[in-house]
Amino acid sequence: MSLPGTLFLRPPPTAPPERLAAFRIILGAFVVSYLVVRMPVFLELGTREPSRFDPAGAFQWIDRPFRGTANTALLVMTLATGVAFTLGWRFRVTGPVFAVVLLLLTSHRSSWGQLLHFENLMVLHVITIAGFRAADAWSLDVRRRNNRVVAPAPDVRYGFPLQLASVVVVVTYVIAGVAKLRYGGLEWLTGDSLRNHIAYSATRVELLGGRSSPLAASLVSNARILRPIAAVTVLIELAAPLALIGRRFRNVWVASAWFMHLGVLAFMFIGFPSPLLLVAFAPMFDLEHVGERVEAYVRGTFVRLDPS
Amino acid sequence: MATNVLRFHLDQRAVRGSILVAVVGLLLIPVIVDSDDFPLSTYPMYATARSNDVAFATAWGRGVNGERLELGLGVIGSSDDPLIVAGELRASIRAGAAEDRCQEIARRASSEPSIIWIEVTTERHDVVAHARGEASLIERTVHASCAVSGVSA
Repeated sequence: MSLPGTLFLRPPPTAPPERLAAFRIILGAFVVSYLVVRMPVFLELGTREPSRFDPAGAFQWIDRPFRGTANTALLVMTLATGVAFTLGWRFRVTGPVFAVVLLLLTSHRSSWGQLLHFENLMVLHVITIAGFRAADAWSLDVRRRNNRVVAPAPDVRYGFPLQLASVVVVVTYVIAGVAKLRYGGLEWLTGDSLRNHIAYSATRVELLGGRSSPLAASLVSNARILRPIAAVTVLIELAAPLALIGRRFRNVWVASAWFMHLGVLAFMFIGFPSPLLLVAFAPMFDLEHVGERVEAYVRGTFVRLDPS
Repeated sequence: MATNVLRFHLDQRAVRGSILVAVVGLLLIPVIVDSDDFPLSTYPMYATARSNDVAFATAWGRGVNGERLELGLGVIGSSDDPLIVAGELRASIRAGAAEDRCQEIARRASSEPSIIWIEVTTERHDVVAHARGEASLIERTVHASCAVSGVSA
């Protein structure tokens, strides 16, 4: 079936509540972990001179930086609502609030002269599912209702947000591919741009006192193989919509995109955490099976610990 | 309840289609207006046709004999991410705030006694030569220089 047919003409994209819940847990755990790891960077923003503030994203409306306590409070609130989002606690409130404060926090970080594009997709994904019923399974909300409610059947309420999140992934990759054709033109595909980008990345980090990838020098010295790699990179990005057509196309595309990011990490020391950890691609898969295995393992562990 | 309304609407193909079109449209706005922002972006990173002659914003320390000393990401930019450090330093130079950044770097470098002087510079390099370990510096412009706090130079 064609792509528009896949998106619009098919029967409603139903899914069990566990599938959307699994994505909520994976995404939430990823974002909270990311914020914890990057906590010093986010905290340091509160000490900066306002003269360096260059508002981006949501801060274009606020137009002044959060300093000191306000910055710390924003980070703490994002972490707290992120944990609530992941656990599915009072999700109807904490889900949307997490989306808003995460957007504020990451916009604030981007408002000092450097946009970090690898944060875009995780923020867009949180915004995408925060307004839907992502805590109707595997959540504290379900436990609080004491299982009085029968587990919901597969429904479009759970399938559509995942379809939407998948479309967001696909469109962002297509935009990245279009950008290379738009800003780089055919020179990007057929010239030495990719070699020069790899060399640029290595030089930049070394001039700042960091260490570049030891693989960069050998790749730069063998530039001939980089031209086909450049063409394949753009092809992978532009071919992203194929991932929406069927499982086989999805698997091939996700594997290709993952290896592309692995290559970027290996040769340029630039890691895109969300796709590298497969979080970005998670909404495209039947995650409930992973969750069921984890649930069975956890239950089995508790049974072994408590034989009574 | 909003969620009940949402459920009712989501059963309808036209509503789902409208939401999808709206979301795709939002994502495409930066592409149409050619303006990168956050979290809606044109994803321009590494998209330009780059030559091997590139200008970099950076900063160096100077020792007592004028020797050049590496500062490190954490001293230049108070971050371990080269994207952040390079981007913010470049933005400061563009905004005419190199002197302020120099003082800021000097404060962070004050724990290193061998560094007595800081220079904020733009350096043009042949990046391919640099990656191969060959001589690469083409041009060097010093935007600001300042003494490290507590050190008389």
